[in-house]
Amino acid sequence: MSEEKQQVSRRQFLNYTLTGVGGFMAAGLLISPIRMAIDPVLKPSSVGDYANVGLAVEDITTEPTRVDWKIDQVDGWYESEVSKAAWVFKNEDDEIMALSPTCTHLGCVVSWEGSEKYPNEFFCPCHDGRYYKDGTNIEGTPPTRPLDRFEHKVENGMLYLGNAQERGGA
Amino acid sequence: MRWVKDDIQTYKKGKEYFDTVIVPVIPFHLSQDAELDKSTSLSEVMNILAHEIEKELSGRVLLIPGYHYIKQSDKEEEVKRINSWVEDIQKQPFNHIFFLTFDPSWKKYERELEGNLLWLPGIQSDNIHSDEMHSMIRNQVAQIGELIRSYW
Repeated sequence: MSEEKQQVSRRQFLNYTLTGVGGFMAAGLLISPIRMAIDPVLKPSSVGDYANVGLAVEDITTEPTRVDWKIDQVDGWYESEVSKAAWVFKNEDDEIMALSPTCTHLGCVVSWEGSEKYPNEFFCPCHDGRYYKDGTNIEGTPPTRPLDRFEHKVENGMLYLGNAQERGGA
Repeated sequence: MRWVKDDIQTYKKGKEYFDTVIVPVIPFHLSQDAELDKSTSLSEVMNILAHEIEKELSGRVLLIPGYHYIKQSDKEEEVKRINSWVEDIQKQPFNHIFFLTFDPSWKKYERELEGNLLWLPGIQSDNIHSDEMHSMIRNQVAQIGELIRSYW
């Protein structure tokens, strides 16, 4: 046994080590591009943080309709089902708009044409906050920025909503 | 807003916008075994209801911790105690105080209460999480919300 071991010459030893180390380095360099190339395949087919809100895209009209859905949320101590809502409609450019019903003033729930006095507007019952149809706050009413807008996706003809995005003030 | 730090900080910043307090009024007892299911279920529903109303009108309404009392206690005494809560609440400029309850025995003392008593017929269900229950609660919330708004 000991005789066989001595057969590994200095040259061979260095060759093996260098190949090994070189191999590791090459693998290290290659791993990121490979990972990037196959990453989309690894992603689950469901659309991540987006939730199916149970509304077919073909049913969306220019009239804002309220949709309600639930998501599971872990929030510090509590794990709970949180109910979410949005006002969904198509704007003039045939683009889907999903607006958060949360008033940007103090968080009451606004509704489309919530006041008979103000047709074609979103209305907040708490302090008469008002928004145009595209969610822009009407100057002179308490809210200081437009209603948040949900990210949306369409898959198999169904509407999926993600996170609500804040938009700049008017 | 609810009785939690984050909400209260918002409340403190915009005190002038808050003029309404909601007090859930909830009985408690462990003495009558037969009533336990009913009492706990009603208490749960009341808490959900109060939270949902608060969510709907959070920018103008402060939901304070529930007023709990022993079910079979003397209501005369309870009226005094609940009015002492009102006395403290009114150290702040609140115009409307609503007591929410499923317990009909308060109805008789309504006039002695320093606030509006909203007695609701109890909503009973075997499964609080059922869709039926959800739509029932949503419906109730909408109507109570409308009632509260009519006072504004």
